[in-house]
Amino acid sequence: MRKLWQKRQKDNIPVRLDKRALYALAALLFLSQLPHVLHLPIWVSAIGVGIVALKLVAHHKNSAAINAVLSPIGMTAIALGGAILVRMHYGYFLGRDPCVAFLFILVSAKFAEVRKSSDSTLLLCLAGFLLLTQYFYSQSILSALITLPAVLALGNALAVIRDSTNAPSTKNNIRMVGKLLLQGAPLAALLFVVFPRLPGPLWSLPDDAAGTTGLSDSMAPGSIGNLSRSDAVAFRVEFNGPPPPAAERYWRGPVMSQFDGREWTIEKHSRKIRVSNTFAKEDIHYTVMMQPTQQRWLFALDHPASLPMSDTADPADGRTLAHLTYDLQLKSAEPVTQVMRYVQKSSLSREFEPPSRPSAKLTLLSGKNPQTVAFATKLRANSRSNKDYADAVLRHFNKENFHYTLQPSLLGDNPVDEFLFSTRNGFCEHYASAYVVLLRAAGIPARVVTGYLGGEMNGNYMIVRQSDAHAWAEAYLNGRWVRYDPTGAVAPARVDTNMAAALGAGEPIPLMARQGNAWLKRLKLSIDEMNHDWQRLVVNFNNESQYKIWEKLGLPKLKLWQITIAVLFITALWCLAVLGFPLVGSGAKTLEDKLWYRYVKMLGRLGVSRKPTETPNEFIDRASIQLAHVPMIRTLGDDLVRLRFEKPDKKTSGLISVIKRGLHKLYFYSMMHRYSASRP
Amino acid sequence: MINTAQTLPVDNQGDISLVLAQLETILMGKREQLELSVACMLAKGHLLIEDVPGTGKTTLAQALGVSMGLKWNRVQFTSDLLPADIVGVSIFNSQTQAFDFREGPIFTSVLLADEINRAPPKAQSALLEAMEERQISVDGHTYDLPQEFFVIATQNPVEQLGAYPLPESQLDRFLVGIALGYPDPATERALMQAGDKRSLISKLKPVASAEQIEQWSADSQQTHISDSIYDYIQALLLRSREGGSGLSSRAGLSLVRLSKSIAYIDNRNHVLPDDVQRAFPALAGHRLTGRVSTGNAAAMEILNSVPSP
Repeated sequence: MRKLWQKRQKDNIPVRLDKRALYALAALLFLSQLPHVLHLPIWVSAIGVGIVALKLVAHHKNSAAINAVLSPIGMTAIALGGAILVRMHYGYFLGRDPCVAFLFILVSAKFAEVRKSSDSTLLLCLAGFLLLTQYFYSQSILSALITLPAVLALGNALAVIRDSTNAPSTKNNIRMVGKLLLQGAPLAALLFVVFPRLPGPLWSLPDDAAGTTGLSDSMAPGSIGNLSRSDAVAFRVEFNGPPPPAAERYWRGPVMSQFDGREWTIEKHSRKIRVSNTFAKEDIHYTVMMQPTQQRWLFALDHPASLPMSDTADPADGRTLAHLTYDLQLKSAEPVTQVMRYVQKSSLSREFEPPSRPSAKLTLLSGKNPQTVAFATKLRANSRSNKDYADAVLRHFNKENFHYTLQPSLLGDNPVDEFLFSTRNGFCEHYASAYVVLLRAAGIPARVVTGYLGGEMNGNYMIVRQSDAHAWAEAYLNGRWVRYDPTGAVAPARVDTNMAAALGAGEPIPLMARQGNAWLKRLKLSIDEMNHDWQRLVVNFNNESQYKIWEKLGLPKLKLWQITIAVLFITALWCLAVLGFPLVGSGAKTLEDKLWYRYVKMLGRLGVSRKPTETPNEFIDRASIQLAHVPMIRTLGDDLVRLRFEKPDKKTSGLISVIKRGLHKLYFYSMMHRYSASRP
Repeated sequence: MINTAQTLPVDNQGDISLVLAQLETILMGKREQLELSVACMLAKGHLLIEDVPGTGKTTLAQALGVSMGLKWNRVQFTSDLLPADIVGVSIFNSQTQAFDFREGPIFTSVLLADEINRAPPKAQSALLEAMEERQISVDGHTYDLPQEFFVIATQNPVEQLGAYPLPESQLDRFLVGIALGYPDPATERALMQAGDKRSLISKLKPVASAEQIEQWSADSQQTHISDSIYDYIQALLLRSREGGSGLSSRAGLSLVRLSKSIAYIDNRNHVLPDDVQRAFPALAGHRLTGRVSTGNAAAMEILNSVPSP
């Protein structure tokens, strides 16, 4: 009698993608595109998402116009056009942003021309790669979490593509992928700790001309004021010990010595000096975690008493991340393009003795601001010494009606004159600039130091933001450089507390710099703390931290091959524990079952794998249709079914030898046609 | 006094495929349900059909009875049904000065118990007791029911006012639970063209007999089951119990019997995993959730999570 319940004829390997697979792939693509939409130009997102949506529409509506767009020719045109547009938009091509944008378009173009299931495997890899590229932009917890749905969709798409006609429901697939991920998590954690790390990034991305906010190599009236309106984090600091008092939190950055009457700039070529030449005592130790600035300066509390070192490097190996210039700037050889961690020591004194006398250039004025020069000459004549004069200028700022504000009046051709004698309102750069000009006019070598003043403790670390940006003055008096902060003379609260405390009402203070403890600020601070830990513990985990953990656990230092073997062993044990010990040897207890599983394995090698719940007859039917060109599948399968399920009798032993011979033949066949068999 | 089944002459050498072929002319497009019903009969179980009215439950019972050459009866269960209405009653005979037992409709071979969940529990349990014991006790006398006693009970899928859902322990007594469902459009058209069911059934000829059914039933249970199939059945039972209340051992035993009958109907002397997979939803559905419609999905979920041997 015919086996009626096997009505569903399992058809051949699906050549065309069916609806289910198409939707699974589309879901995967949308979810992989999602994180990129946040940073890509809107037209790139529109093209990428649009093509995917169009492909779905084309599946339902057979329109000639849509098909033309989705044809290989149309897609080639879009890819080429996309490349040109990307080049035009960014102005260059080989860089993170343009390359990711181009990949974004290419992946959707690939989706549009997916026809066969083999295409979809390639698409899965591409989508996975696209998903990874979002880590070029951010490695925060949020960006890790945002990829999770895409990973689940990837697993679902894999399961659906494998056999879309008989794939289990999406819910089951997701559950299965989730389970696999959870089972894999301990292994990933183990490999995270022990897998050998490359010292340094695997690739180095070419600079993108990203408009990162931060201090730069010049300072004009208004430049720091603008910077102070940003909440962005400049760097975070962990102190070994208590943090310094608020008034000592001067983070030294670019030092400006050249003045054109309006704008201060750094000296192009400043000599390197050795650290010992600063004769500094080491007051405070800390670790800075700096955000990328695309600039070469590193920041240290005024003034640095060591060279910055990688926090995980061996102190003995002496590799430093930057050098010290004679005006005490820390400059690295390369611009800081990614988050950087370094250990730094500082001396908290207000003054230091330079290795050599400053050059005469440090008293140069541009010839502008005549009123200021006249005022300085008069004031100097009334002072007994240079030091008295410097204090007198501070007193002048304090006594007269000067105003500290984020919104100063605009200044004309003689900005210092206008500021000192008419507008009298300004932000720190106005005061620092005017102060240095006044000192120089009296013949005292002086310069402007920019950097950050302040920092807010959040848990066990300090956040320094762009809103803490500051400028102050340094004067050469009695053979030493001394820090003067004229802003403190006008608004003492700026130094003792922060900018918000010093500014009046109605100033455009950014949220995170405001006084008080609004819930939004508190929430942002706790998120920042979480991300900081993530950055410290996960993203920055490298070969040195690995070695430290190894040491902390008291494990002997093993050779690479020993670690490899240990990891392989633990991995194998874990796989056994997860997959179940009975699966070893396919769980076959009897000879009959062993023969059967050999048969299943061989057919699997030929390209037809058995689903666990598939009955032997269903499997044999499917295999003999899909592998119609392979002889003996049907007869051998039927013999096996008879052997396994019929009542054993005298003929059984004969049947066994027939089956064994058949299996040998099939084995040879499968070895001969291993790669061609599944493609009739 | 035993009511023997009314046996009718058999046309030809009985063959199950003949029975099925004849049944299929009456219930078109329901081959799977028909095979399961016959398998249920051979496994000496009773059949529960859950469906809306008008899908052919009565026709199935009638056609089965006639084709098998068995007597059949129908009881419509109502809220005022008394046990005596099913079983029968003793009446005083003034001439013999004794009580005569007047048999109820239960004394038949195929009994259609229509809308069983409409009757109060007392009436239900009278029937269910008879199903299990295959005998009736009235006034201290015991009356045996025919060997091939087979109950087809129907229940409405929708919970309604005045319905008494069968408790789980009693659902367990039905070996197979199926739904007939609406026919597909082509079959429905053919049904309309075929004309009156009643006249079609009246033209049916018996193609088997009570003795033959008895023989088939005994033979079917001789079907061989290999150890791996027993393992499979046990794995299914265990899996069903993982989420709390699962299938009983009686259900396991029934699964073995039903799988054997299904293999026998398919002309095999051994059970294949395919037989178990066919038997399982029909057997487990109503036991797992109390409803065939929802239970089938639950049963399929179990089937889809246990590897086949």
